[in-house]
Amino acid sequence: MSSKDIPAIDPRAPIILEMNHISKTFGAVTALVDVSIKLRQGEVLALVGDNGAGKSTLIKILSGFHRPDSGTIIYQGKEVRFYSPREARAHGVETVYQDLALINHLSVYHNMFVGREYHKWILGLKLLDNKKMRDLARAYLDTLGIQIPSVDSLVDLLSGGQRQSVAVARSIYSSPTILVLDEPLAALGVREGAHVLGLIQNLRRQRSVSIILIVHNYNQVFEVCDRINFLHSGEVVLDASTSETSEEQLIRIVKSGLGREAIAAAAAEIGNAM
Amino acid sequence: MARTTPTSQQVRKVGIKAPEGGFEKVLMVLSRYREASIAVVAVVLVIYFQISNPAFLSSQELSVVLRDTARFGMIAVAQVMLMITGEIDLSVGSTFSLAPYVMVLMTISWGVPLAISALAGILLGVLIGLINGLITVRFRVPSLITTVGTLFLLQGVVVSIYNSQPIVAPVQEPFNAIFGENLYSPTDSLWSWHGLTAFSPFLWTVAVVLAMALVLNRTTFGLHTIATGSNIIGAKEIGIRTDRIKIYNFMIAGGLAAAAGVINTVEFASADPLAGGPFLTLQAVAAAVIGGTSLLGGSGTPIGALVGAFVVATLNNGLVMMGAQATVSDIYLGAAIVLAMILNVQVDRMRARRRI
Ligand SMILES: Nc1ncnc2c1ncn2[C@@H]1O[C@H](COP(=O)(O)OP(=O)(O)OP(=O)(O)O)[C@@H](O)[C@H]1O
Ligand SMILES: [Mg+2]
Repeated sequence: MSSKDIPAIDPRAPIILEMNHISKTFGAVTALVDVSIKLRQGEVLALVGDNGAGKSTLIKILSGFHRPDSGTIIYQGKEVRFYSPREARAHGVETVYQDLALINHLSVYHNMFVGREYHKWILGLKLLDNKKMRDLARAYLDTLGIQIPSVDSLVDLLSGGQRQSVAVARSIYSSPTILVLDEPLAALGVREGAHVLGLIQNLRRQRSVSIILIVHNYNQVFEVCDRINFLHSGEVVLDASTSETSEEQLIRIVKSGLGREAIAAAAAEIGNAM
Repeated sequence: MARTTPTSQQVRKVGIKAPEGGFEKVLMVLSRYREASIAVVAVVLVIYFQISNPAFLSSQELSVVLRDTARFGMIAVAQVMLMITGEIDLSVGSTFSLAPYVMVLMTISWGVPLAISALAGILLGVLIGLINGLITVRFRVPSLITTVGTLFLLQGVVVSIYNSQPIVAPVQEPFNAIFGENLYSPTDSLWSWHGLTAFSPFLWTVAVVLAMALVLNRTTFGLHTIATGSNIIGAKEIGIRTDRIKIYNFMIAGGLAAAAGVINTVEFASADPLAGGPFLTLQAVAAAVIGGTSLLGGSGTPIGALVGAFVVATLNNGLVMMGAQATVSDIYLGAAIVLAMILNVQVDRMRARRRI
């Protein structure tokens, strides 16, 4: 399951997403300053950076949860504005948020389908098709090899790792065009983490979905990602391809503190810093 | 995955912590069968009052209890929906007075048929709900505050229209018969027209409660209502329009409070500006809470609210029948609310604690 199995991303693959010059402040807090990222069709892009660097804010702008103060989003060749997560989902952008966005008072299968429910008509009433959603959820979680006690149990009662798995399953269920995962491995045990990484690796092999992955572990970055963007204090300071950079190099750069000089040195070393 | 069955069972044990003490076990059962546990309380109350006063289960007395149950229940069920979203509407008591007052004035002054002015009254309630909802959602004012404001404001309006005078409501058949125009009397057969119309307010409330239970448990709107109250940020993140969900539930609350007021006015053939008020609001909230709905959001039961309304009505009437001062029943009611709330909150906390 190393990235050696998977051929590098075709540099001519079309660009599916560009976020250009995105800035965002929350009151006095500046979360993002003029951030630009690019994502190719089928690519897995790692977004890394210290706590509070602005990673979650950036992907919440993509997912329609936040609105940027300035900047544009070009998705599938067209400029778009997602005014709500609902719109983004309808356009094929699925997100696993850092907080998982699970509804504790609902069952696993309702969580899988909330926001895109199946219905049936009974006596002229549009009612939830619970049986269908239950069956689909059970079958899908089985396909992915995700183990939970029952799709009927409240997500409240699942372990942290099981909750995370359910959130990931929900996001890939609809075969999105872009999949955004904000620390999907954080609460997972070694085995479960490897399992979710395997799911991502499968998606990457097919090159049908483009993925933005926020992770803190560089091992995992090098295992499943094609490219790395490093965010620091609200700016992208480094854009490197995993095939041209080594893990040691990256760690050295990160440890150097990411001041202006360190970035310049890194740019010289890697040749493609921002 | 090559996980063997025993291991996965171990995983299950880790995932769901088994209840520890006897108290936790009781809470667990209660959390699963909230309506059932309150129904047991209701039955015990009825048996107690029946033993203390054999006239309690007479049809006449029962029709009084059911009439009150109907009044509290219709408002309580709307309160349940709002409480599930994490909001509350305290202005329902004033809407309850204002809507029928407007209805009667429209019919008397302009000769509008009662059925149409009743509809106008209910629409007014829906509009009040819309305003409550918009203020709460757009200006981020907690609904507890918003609706205390509208409670007084609307009470002031209805009182000032006609110098707090009740007005005699016109009677138009079959409108009055459909919405309940009399009490059951000993000479009535249950299967007579007169007998049936005595119970129609209760039947309306049962219909509304069943409809709301269906909406909550079997529709997208219900699912999104639960999601909104359970995890509002998460709900927004997955694209649920939480603001709209809240506003719609405020509109339902306003509409049902108005409908309950209209039915009440039809029953007594009088529109009293002081028929509702803060006390009615609180009785409805009490019914919802006793029925198993907590103020923490995310869970609640319409059927429980109906049973809760029955308990409140039974306490009120039963104790008064036994010769107690009306105020004594308030002591019991107050104790019941506190107990129910402790139980509801404990059940919710236990759920939260078992999360890892
Ligand atoms: N809703 C908000 N209101 C105010 N400030 C916010 C909000 N969301 C984020 N911030 C601030 O914006 C900055 C970036 O936060 P963000 O959550 O994007 O960081 P992050 O890179 O995802 O960090 P972590 O690795 O800890 O998840 C932080 O300083 C944070 O406090
Ligand atoms: Mg984050």
